[in-house]
Amino acid sequence: MAGFLTRERIVAGPGFNRWLVPPAALAIHLSIGQAYAFSVFKLPLTKIIGITQPAPGDWTQPELAWIFTIAIVFLGLSAALFGRWLERAGPRKSGVAAALCWSAGFLVSAVGVRLHNIWLLYLGYGVLGGCGLGLGYITPVSTLIKWFPDRRGMATGMAIMGFGGGAMIGAPLADLLMKHYATPTSVGVSQTFVTMGLIYLVAMLAGAFLFRVPPPGFTVPPPVRRSRAITVEHAPLRPPLITVRHVHVDTAWKTPQFWLLWAVLFLNVSAGIGILEQASPMIQEMFKGRVTASAAAGFVGLLSLFNMAGRFSWSSLSDRIGRKRTYGVFFTLGPLLYITVPFAGRIGSVILFVAAAALIITMYGGGFATIPAYLSDLFGTQFVGAIHGRLLTAWSAAGVAGPVLVNYIREYQIHHGVPAAQAYNITMLLMAGLLVVGFFCNLAVRPVAEGFYMTEDQLARERAPATAA
Amino acid sequence: MTQENPGPGDTRRGQWGLVAVAWLLVGIPLLWGVWTTLQKAAALFE
Repeated sequence: MAGFLTRERIVAGPGFNRWLVPPAALAIHLSIGQAYAFSVFKLPLTKIIGITQPAPGDWTQPELAWIFTIAIVFLGLSAALFGRWLERAGPRKSGVAAALCWSAGFLVSAVGVRLHNIWLLYLGYGVLGGCGLGLGYITPVSTLIKWFPDRRGMATGMAIMGFGGGAMIGAPLADLLMKHYATPTSVGVSQTFVTMGLIYLVAMLAGAFLFRVPPPGFTVPPPVRRSRAITVEHAPLRPPLITVRHVHVDTAWKTPQFWLLWAVLFLNVSAGIGILEQASPMIQEMFKGRVTASAAAGFVGLLSLFNMAGRFSWSSLSDRIGRKRTYGVFFTLGPLLYITVPFAGRIGSVILFVAAAALIITMYGGGFATIPAYLSDLFGTQFVGAIHGRLLTAWSAAGVAGPVLVNYIREYQIHHGVPAAQAYNITMLLMAGLLVVGFFCNLAVRPVAEGFYMTEDQLARERAPATAA
Repeated sequence: MTQENPGPGDTRRGQWGLVAVAWLLVGIPLLWGVWTTLQKAAALFE
């Protein structure tokens, strides 16, 4: 049975259409993207005992907040730890493991709700679900980059767009299911967890079983543009930051390029969280009396749409203008937009505020989607999944540091008498500052030094099992 | 190798029907999610 899942068994045969890989990747990313919609469970989870309102013994919001934090930490850890295994085992085995972890996370959490044991939720959605997130995130990306060496940004953008879009399916689906299962004695969360766990299991397994890996010697049609000339055959046209050689995952993290990109991702994500974390209260406090709570919820929904759109559009654009220039745009335009946000509040322009925030969020999403292509340009495609996995620790770090930083600064200001509506000004300035630091990190990125690349012998040994098959 | 036997590198080959079905299966729930989000977002402009 295990052999059925191995890399050697899923080498694509003649006639396989590589355009089957993006929907397979999307099936996985749309499923794990539900993580962004975890907040829909927060309120019902505080009323498991009280049903209509929180009762003594019910879980509190801070207790529940740890579930998502643990999941994001385990996302980074599992991606970093299992990335190397993914490259050896292949995307089908890794995709199946992701599906089992993600689904088991929901099922264990359902038991936790039934027994009213918060530790089972930490273990279920947090640890198991987090491992499912990590594996599920890097598996499709690694596979797509190998199938689309000519359009790396667009291909990974399609998958990572799914991670942004998953919340748009997960939130209303959870809402519908909880309403369906709710009774006078239950808020319906545990049944919803079971149903969603099973739905996601089917979707992710379908995606995993659709995966194929390119055969040795796989080539793509000749490039029509210089920026797409990425394969060995097109080397004379290749831009200097795109290598046709490969860096081993255990070597990659010793290069300055890895840490520069780590910083680039960390700073871009931390800055984006500054908006995402405060979107709803910020628009209501800056435009008091003009923006209602339901309009603010609509604003948050709009941001998730732009987050998703940014993932596809910026990463696709990076195929044309290059990754370094794309991040250059993020880190140049970004600070100006962060400064525009409080300015829009001062002049009372809701339209300007929404436009600036939406554009910022496209770049937050675009940063996630463009980084795998940036990595494969610099380090080659052989270990890109594993290297990407290690780089995702930057996301975990930003996921913890970003909200802490934002909330701490805001609380500090309010505590010192700054009006709530103005307390965002310093935060936005700080976010702009982070992006300026990111600009210099990105500027410092140069091609990897010769000594870090694998030799032809080392590469042949790594590829041996697949070649033998 | 690829000159004589284009293999899977030739992406203009078959399976386009399967590709269409696969895209529909992921596209329909995604469009439903986008539509639901747009409906909520409309409150911002009312």
